[in-house]
Order: sequence, then C-alpha cells, then structure tokens
Amino acid sequence: MLPLHSNSLARRPFASPLPLPPASLPSPRETHIWYVVPDELKDASLLYQYMELLSPCERQSVLRMNGERLQKGALLARALVRTTLARYTDGRLSPKSFKFQKNRFGKPEVEWDKYDLWAPPPLQFNISHTSTMIACGVTLDLPIGIDIEEKQRKTSNNILSLAHRYFSPVEVAYLKTLADPECRQSEFIRLWTLKEAYVKALGRGFSGTPFKDFTIRLEASNSKQVTGELKSDAPSIVVEAVDDPGILMNRWQFALFELNNSHYTAVCMERDVKNPADGENNSLKLEVWRTLPFVEDECVTETDAVKNIIR
Amino acid sequence: MAAVSATSIRFGSTFRTASWSSNQTGGRISNVKLVSMGISKRILPSLRSPHFHICCAAKPETVEKVCEVVKKQLALKDEIVLTPDSKFSALGADSLDTVEIVMGLEEQFGITVEEDNSQNITTIQEAADLIEKLVQQKAEA
Repeated sequence: MLPLHSNSLARRPFASPLPLPPASLPSPRETHIWYVVPDELKDASLLYQYMELLSPCERQSVLRMNGERLQKGALLARALVRTTLARYTDGRLSPKSFKFQKNRFGKPEVEWDKYDLWAPPPLQFNISHTSTMIACGVTLDLPIGIDIEEKQRKTSNNILSLAHRYFSPVEVAYLKTLADPECRQSEFIRLWTLKEAYVKALGRGFSGTPFKDFTIRLEASNSKQVTGELKSDAPSIVVEAVDDPGILMNRWQFALFELNNSHYTAVCMERDVKNPADGENNSLKLEVWRTLPFVEDECVTETDAVKNIIR
Repeated sequence: MAAVSATSIRFGSTFRTASWSSNQTGGRISNVKLVSMGISKRILPSLRSPHFHICCAAKPETVEKVCEVVKKQLALKDEIVLTPDSKFSALGADSLDTVEIVMGLEEQFGITVEEDNSQNITTIQEAADLIEKLVQQKAEA
C-alpha cells in the first residue's frame, strides 16, 4: 500500500511539476475530453505530486477508498479534473487553486472566485471512470455528462432481465431484436453509457432521473424534429420521454464512440441555442487528448484512439 | 432504549459519488432522513453518528451473504476487507454495479426491492437491514 499519508506529503520535497501547456477554450458546440490510463503511471513520485493538488477533503476521500488500486484511481480522477480545468485559464489558475461545490442535485461544479481584472471562463465539466481509464469532459458554459465503460464489461445478470428492469420499453424491444448475444451485450453497454451520460448532463444522476422514464435511440435521417428543422443525412441519437414519445428533447445532443480501443464512451451536451449553426451540421464536436498530467499530453482526435463515432 | 441507525441516507450519495467521482464532503453522512418506525424525532440522539444500530439489525449471516454478493459483483480481491460499515462507493461500485448488486440480492433472498427503497442503501449493513425487513414483510404477507 502506498504511504499516502497527508502529513508526510506536506514535508516531502519534490521537483516542481512542469507547467501545464495552456489549451484553447472549447467552442460552442465542442466537448473537450481528456483521459488518463492509470496503468501508464509507473512513477510513484507522480502520485505525490498529484496528491499535493488536492484539497484536504479530497485527500481524505481518496484515502477512504478501500485498497491501493481504488485509492490510486480516486487520486487520478481528482488530479485529472484539476489539471484539465487549469489548462483553460491561460496560466492564471493552478490546479491546486480550484474549489468545487455541488449543485442542488449533488453534481460537482466549479466554484469560481471573483477576480478584479479577469473573468474566468465559465467551464463546465463531468468525469467518469473505470478501473482502466478516467475521462474528463469540458465545455464552455454548457451542461455536459460523460460516461465510459470497458468494451469487455460483462454483466452478472442476464441482459434482458436488466433491460426489463431498468430500460424503457422501446429500448428493451430494440435489444430483443439482436439475436447475437455478444452484439446484445455490447449494445446494452453502449445504451447504458448513453443513458448515464444523459442523466449526468441533466445533473440529477441515476437516482434523480430513472432510466425507465426516457428512451434513447437513433432517429432516422431526413425527419423533421419539433423545431421544424430538417436533420442531416446521418441518423442521430435522440432522447424522448417515455410518457411523451415523438416529442424529442432537442435540447440535448449526443456522441457515442470508442476510446483507446478499450472503452465505449458517451457524451451528452446541452445544445447551444445562443449560437445556432447557420445551416451547417450542428452536431456535437469532439476534441480528445490522452494525458498523463505533468508528463505527457497527446491530441488523439483524428487518430485511431477515437473511432466509430455516432452522433 | 431503542436507537435507530441512519438507514434513510439518500442513495443519491452513493450514485452521486459513483457517478460524479469523489465528492467534497468525503464520507460525511448527508441528507439523513428518519425511517418512519414510529419513533419520534425528539427522543433520538444525533442521527449523524454511525454508531446507533436499529434494535432489529440484520443477523450476521445476512450481512455475510450480502458481503459475498458484493465481493463477487465487484470482483474484489481477498485482500479487500469488507465490514458492515463498508460503503459501496468506497468499493468502486458504479451505478451498473449497484443495480446488479440489488438484483443479485433479490435473487439470493427471494425478495423484490422497490426503486425508492434501493435509494436508501449505501453500506453493507444498510443493505442487510433492508433485506431482512423485506424478507419479514414477505413472510407476513
């Protein structure tokens, strides 16, 4: 077990971490995603550097996790959030200086200080992790939810039992059309990540927005939505209330893709109505970086690390 | 004198912790509500202490069975020590794990957990308490 005791950390000398390269702010329809692969972290002294970034409360939370692996994951998650947000402040805020609060539903958000001569960017973020990856999504002033699941994830219970219990009738019917068990398994996981991303974007989480109350599905191309706008050719991911089918909740847009060849990733973002697209494709745009904070950043947006994107 | 454990802690905090990653308040119990056991609020000591146990707290065998289901679902290695106070969030359970644990417990004990009941369990002990309550209700029905 790593000796991650707060007391010893305060006195331990280490080289100052390299400054984080600044990042350009997300544009109105963009989600930026930064992800960490915990297994890539081989240098234990990095963990001490990350621990230094955390608030005392966060450190206690990390140490309360049961076992070294979970502690490391929790630590990396907090370090990822703090370092990611700091990148967008043009060097003015250090990762350590961020404060967080919860909205009335319990969703973490940044608590910004007031500055005389500078307005901090209104960043919104959301985080998701598995034991093998942690991802942080960032937008400019738009609610966002992100969920990742390992592609290989197997459920203990039967897929249709789970679906009958927790998914909407339309979604259950869809899963039933898939005869191949592996296909059904992966579609279940993908649908789960989409639903998770949606409730996280809403800010109420799983307990605040029962999965059974809404359907997420593909909407065929060339159909008119409630707003009367013609959609682009490709089918798109839409969400509708079970009680109100046919009325698509246009406010929310989605992306579903594979990340690092290991994880299904779903992003849900509120549509930016202040900056409507002029006839061009207004689907969600993604920029993705693989990172090991203070060590390495790699933009992977146009690479094989981000593929099979559905919006 | 009867004492009541804080069994109505909103499940929100488990899912929230699991979904939102770690939270600022750490393990502090929040949003505690009284279980309606016909016990007046006035005579109860602070509900924020975890040391009060309901007079009909679950049997050790039930707690152990819950531990087994949880350990299996979360694929916990033997080095991980589970206690009745172990919080699901501290075991790395995400929302899918939690629903699978609930379904696994239903199968083990032959009960059905209503969604709003499942909102109230954040530890092994709370799960065991709820299970015994539901088993007893089923027997009485």
